[in-house]
Amino acid sequence: MGTQSAGRRRNVPIALGAAGALVCVVTACSGTGPGSSKEFTYWSMWKQGEPQQKVIAAAVADFQKQTGVKVKVQWQGRNNLQKLVPALNTNSVPDLVDGPYVKLVPALVATRQSLGLTAAFDTAVDGTTAGKLVPAKYLKTIDIKDAAGKPWMLPYSLTSDAVWYDAAAHPELRTDPPRTWDDFIALLNRLKQAGQTPLAADGDVTGYNAAYLSTLIVRNLGPGGLKKIASDRTGNAWLDPAVLDAAKKVEQLVRGGYLIDGYKASKWPAQQQKWANGKAALMFMGSWLPTESATYAEKGLTYASFPFPTTGAGHDSMRADFVGFAVPKKAHHAADAQRFAAFLLNKKYQDELGQEAKVIPVRADAATSPEMAGVKKSLDSADSFHQQNDGVAFPGYNEKLFWAKDDELFFGKISADTFVHDMQAAQAAYWKDQPQ
Amino acid sequence: MIRPAEIRPATAGPPDPAPAAERRPGPEPAPRGGTLARQRRRLFIPFVGPALLLYSVLFIAPIGAAVWISLHNWAGSGPMTWAGLRNYTRLFHDDLFTQSLRNTLELLFVVGAAVFAISFALTLILRDMAGRKAVRAVIFFPHLVNALVYGVLVGFLFNPDGLANSLLAHLGIHSPPQWLAQDNLFPLIMVTMTWMTTGYFTTILMAGVDRIPVSYYEDCALAGAGPLQRLRYVILPLTWDVFGVCAVLWTISSVKIFEIVWIFGGSSGNGIPPTKTWTSAVYTYATAFSGDSVPSYGAATASAILSLLLVTVLVVLLRRLMRREAVEF
Repeated sequence: MGTQSAGRRRNVPIALGAAGALVCVVTACSGTGPGSSKEFTYWSMWKQGEPQQKVIAAAVADFQKQTGVKVKVQWQGRNNLQKLVPALNTNSVPDLVDGPYVKLVPALVATRQSLGLTAAFDTAVDGTTAGKLVPAKYLKTIDIKDAAGKPWMLPYSLTSDAVWYDAAAHPELRTDPPRTWDDFIALLNRLKQAGQTPLAADGDVTGYNAAYLSTLIVRNLGPGGLKKIASDRTGNAWLDPAVLDAAKKVEQLVRGGYLIDGYKASKWPAQQQKWANGKAALMFMGSWLPTESATYAEKGLTYASFPFPTTGAGHDSMRADFVGFAVPKKAHHAADAQRFAAFLLNKKYQDELGQEAKVIPVRADAATSPEMAGVKKSLDSADSFHQQNDGVAFPGYNEKLFWAKDDELFFGKISADTFVHDMQAAQAAYWKDQPQ
Repeated sequence: MIRPAEIRPATAGPPDPAPAAERRPGPEPAPRGGTLARQRRRLFIPFVGPALLLYSVLFIAPIGAAVWISLHNWAGSGPMTWAGLRNYTRLFHDDLFTQSLRNTLELLFVVGAAVFAISFALTLILRDMAGRKAVRAVIFFPHLVNALVYGVLVGFLFNPDGLANSLLAHLGIHSPPQWLAQDNLFPLIMVTMTWMTTGYFTTILMAGVDRIPVSYYEDCALAGAGPLQRLRYVILPLTWDVFGVCAVLWTISSVKIFEIVWIFGGSSGNGIPPTKTWTSAVYTYATAFSGDSVPSYGAATASAILSLLLVTVLVVLLRRLMRREAVEF
């Protein structure tokens, strides 16, 4: 044993020295250096084969042909931004990433790693500039400016939400959709009396469950209302009667028995599949529902939608989540990356995004698919907008606190009264433990 | 006159354990102990060095970095602010962390006990069974299947319109339990974990039992020992070290259980599973990588470091508990 421990002792400095040497080698290797300026790297949120990927891939091919700039695309899928965060500490960052606003904020903006995209906004596209193609009305409530007042994101499409139905089965909803909460509840009652299941919901996706309450709070308090409540360090904002009213409306849905059987104990997309097969009349869901459910929907399903009902508090904002490009500050080829970001705002690709990928293109004049007609019409006529989670992204707030508590309300385990009081206490404890 | 012991290089460390007086001059090889020890010393660095180096670079250094990060508030990149031990104290205030830790310990002890009881029973049954190799392969199979498959399968079986409820409906049960309700999800995960790992440990235990020479069993038969006595006096003592290794393996792997929880709830991994099913590993991941809110790497690494400490303490305790004189055979 004596020889071994002596060996070990002698080995430590050697090992440490060699470890240091290896670390140097590794880090030196990871630095990409300026290299050729005629290329850039793009980590995409789309995966090979997705309709959006096909449109963007075609745009990449055209861009390469027209500009001679090589685009090194990695079709990473929805985890691209989670992968980006650790990469930002190294020297090899992608030059371009894309994602929804709510995910770009925590990954890039909260970490102060986003580049101002003035160049992209000023790039000429179809006789105007890319920046002017982003409808100004969205930017009134959606803040895409960094601390220096520069935009950090160039959106290329939007997601929204709506209450979806099959227009073939319910043509009457096309002409006379419910506009207020009372109309909505009356409709649910009518459906129930007719022996139909009024509402489908996949309760295992907690974010979907919380969308009801988030939207109702925004209906009662206006865009930014939920964010204001969530920011209250005492938690007392939850005791506001308008918030209780929103929670009571969720309770009304649950207690009224309008939700599909088994919504508390199923695995996504089980209930969405049922909706797409006519086993429930309505589903409150994002604008991705038609593309997502297309493969298993029954024949003849005609996708149609109406906006989430208003509550009489005078707020009728539409959800508008930007999906778009951002460039990390450390990007080596930021200029070309911004050129490409603007390139996707060409009418050709915007039309393709609308008609082939069936999303809502950010350009107001781009074509959309028939499935999106209802959502597009509502967005065009709306003049105020809110975002998913109302833009709340405090560390762990949604997934550990708000959504977990909301599940109890949405599953009927607690009343609206208990819910707001629980949230008050839990939020006060949450903020007490957060760094100032 | 120069004796072999004296031409040793000055840097060779401690003196040979063999007394110099025993050495004889001349061409004969020196006593084995001395040369062997020297050879071992010489080979120590080339043999251990690379592994130690890799281990330091890939494990020790990252752990050091993790400890450093855990003392800060940090969103994964950008500015880092000093937090001292606040990330740790915060974890102890956090009911969700304590609950996640409790879930981890439940997996460790409850599932562990079930896995070992079943594996051991299977080992004893399979020992004398015909076609045991085929059976062993079948039992091992669930361990080879990717956890994702179970995530999909569980929906197929236990959705409200799934196979389980269809079968129950045939039996006249029309209000079956809500299998996938949040409260039932964790027990279901525990059952699945048992199902997944039993075969693995059965295989290891069987290898241990198969090692026992047949002559011991014959001896038992001659001495008139019953199955229980055979278990107590032959099988258990001779496989005790295998048990010890299995227990350590299970402890380490159970503290890391993650993917099965992740895919059981929350749209098969596209969303976040319900907090009731979180283990400490899931807590760590969700804190850093949820994607739905600003990442807090400080809190996440603090939770990871605590998990590491937990494993270390448990493994040390377990090793002490399982320590027996090794029986050589």
